[in-house]
Amino acid sequence: MITVEHLTKEFTYYRKATGLRGSLHNIFHRESLTKEAVRDISFSVEEGEMIGFLGPNGAGKTTTLKMLSGILYPTSGSVSVNGFTPWDRSAEFKRQISIVMGQKNQLWWDLPASDSFYLNKCIFGISDSDYRDIVTELAELLDVKELMNVQVRRLSLGERMKMEILAALIHRPKILFLDEPTIGLDLLSQQKIREFLKIYNEQQKTTVIITSHYMADIEALCSRTVIINQGCLVYDGPLKEINQLLGRRKLLSVKTAAPLNAKVWETFGTVREINAAEVILEVAQENVKDAVSAILSNLEIEDFTVTEIPIEESISRFYQKEVLVP
Amino acid sequence: MKKIVYYLKIMGVFAKYSLMSALEYRINFITGITVEMGWMLIKLLYVAIIYKAGTNIGILTPDHILLFVGIYLVLTGVYMLYSGNFSALPGMVQHGELDLYIVKPLSLQFLITMRRLDFAYLLPDLAAGIIMIVTGWRLAELPVGFLPIAGFLFYLLCGALLTYSLFLLPYLLSFWTVSVGGIADISNALWDFNNMPSLIYGKWFRRIGTYILPIFVITNFPGLFLMGELSPFACFWGAAAPLLFFALSRALWKFALKRYSSASS
Repeated sequence: MITVEHLTKEFTYYRKATGLRGSLHNIFHRESLTKEAVRDISFSVEEGEMIGFLGPNGAGKTTTLKMLSGILYPTSGSVSVNGFTPWDRSAEFKRQISIVMGQKNQLWWDLPASDSFYLNKCIFGISDSDYRDIVTELAELLDVKELMNVQVRRLSLGERMKMEILAALIHRPKILFLDEPTIGLDLLSQQKIREFLKIYNEQQKTTVIITSHYMADIEALCSRTVIINQGCLVYDGPLKEINQLLGRRKLLSVKTAAPLNAKVWETFGTVREINAAEVILEVAQENVKDAVSAILSNLEIEDFTVTEIPIEESISRFYQKEVLVP
Repeated sequence: MKKIVYYLKIMGVFAKYSLMSALEYRINFITGITVEMGWMLIKLLYVAIIYKAGTNIGILTPDHILLFVGIYLVLTGVYMLYSGNFSALPGMVQHGELDLYIVKPLSLQFLITMRRLDFAYLLPDLAAGIIMIVTGWRLAELPVGFLPIAGFLFYLLCGALLTYSLFLLPYLLSFWTVSVGGIADISNALWDFNNMPSLIYGKWFRRIGTYILPIFVITNFPGLFLMGELSPFACFWGAAAPLLFFALSRALWKFALKRYSSASS
């Protein structure tokens, strides 16, 4: 369905020295610089597959997605999306894809979302009966039936994102690109959107590529993960295997009633950070249960949380290990 | 034909939604109409002065001038209807806001330049302009019949197309320069040369404004056609210039779009 070969994208920009002097100098002389946002990336995606792009800020995930959807021209390389070259921007290609961006919106701000859906119906030339069926079905799945006639500006961020997704699916695209669809949403909204995407992918067999900062998005939805770092593809395979490659570890944040010596904490795990009565420990996943019960039974605890190691850190560790793409 | 119906339908939805959005902010909508009426009254003062002086400008009587200013008002209203989209273009380019429009299966140029329509400006200009055209036409005893009316409307449409094409060009530079405020201000100032019939300007200035940067074609040709003052070549140029400049704006739009680099999210 999607084949990407040696895709590269360079951006040209100007160096700007700080201060007024730099600005004045800029009028007469500009030093042109080139940034390679995406470097020689190759991969392929099967029909109906749901894959996740992971990577830190500025890694090149969104740039790749924009090239796959025809928004940007590449500097070199080739892409075939269902037989089309995206940046030819043919109307037939655009009917087969859709893109949702967590930080951009296509809905009319002052009107109810249903009006924007109707505009998309007209743009994509969908029949009245198909349109009714699709909107009813998607509104039910996304649980937004009651919000159809509320102006977009009055919706919460989570509700708005659901409406954005609905608007993007009106024409039943074969391929859906999602760029950080859960960014800034509360946990419940994130979960709802994940559930919807999972059901939708299963029902419609839509090919989905999703970029996210949240490991939970990718874990819940994608059987396969592509990790991009500094423009390069550094991993392509199941997410679980990354954890095995890295050795899965957790972070325990603990707040005690009184400050304790670092040596006390070292008996439970590796001390990452210690600040008076607050400490962050790194513990191997298989030891978490024992460490937690030991801390709870031996120390006077005020607050306690267990979290994943931040994705940026995992990826950066992964990248530093220079593990080859399987 | 099917395509024209398709685009007219979308345009109808844009018009409806723009009006609905504008009416959400009633005070702003009414203020817009009031400001436009104030601007229009200033323009009418010129005509009043000419009537009071009672002098002709070349072959133009005050009645002719009334007609020409009426055409200027109508075409100003039409330009103001969509010009907000032009001025929004540099910001959209800078902030990468074209992304979600590029993936729609219709002309991106149409979508970006017509998606928001401002009726607060159109309505007063259109109403006053039509009254002035009809009054000037009658008082100047210009011919009435199928051919004069059809020809007049044809050159009016050509003027509207030429306005769109000509005034979009400076905004397209934003794909290279990002900020185009200065250039856009100059082009908008040029529009005011149409305030009065071009016959008040010198011969060479008129030629440049007709054949090189054809701003005079926009509001003068419908009136000159009615007066029988268009040479056969001018008749041809009046129809060719809008097509030529529209083709130029299309070509530059497509070329500029290849430079679009979006923005980081």
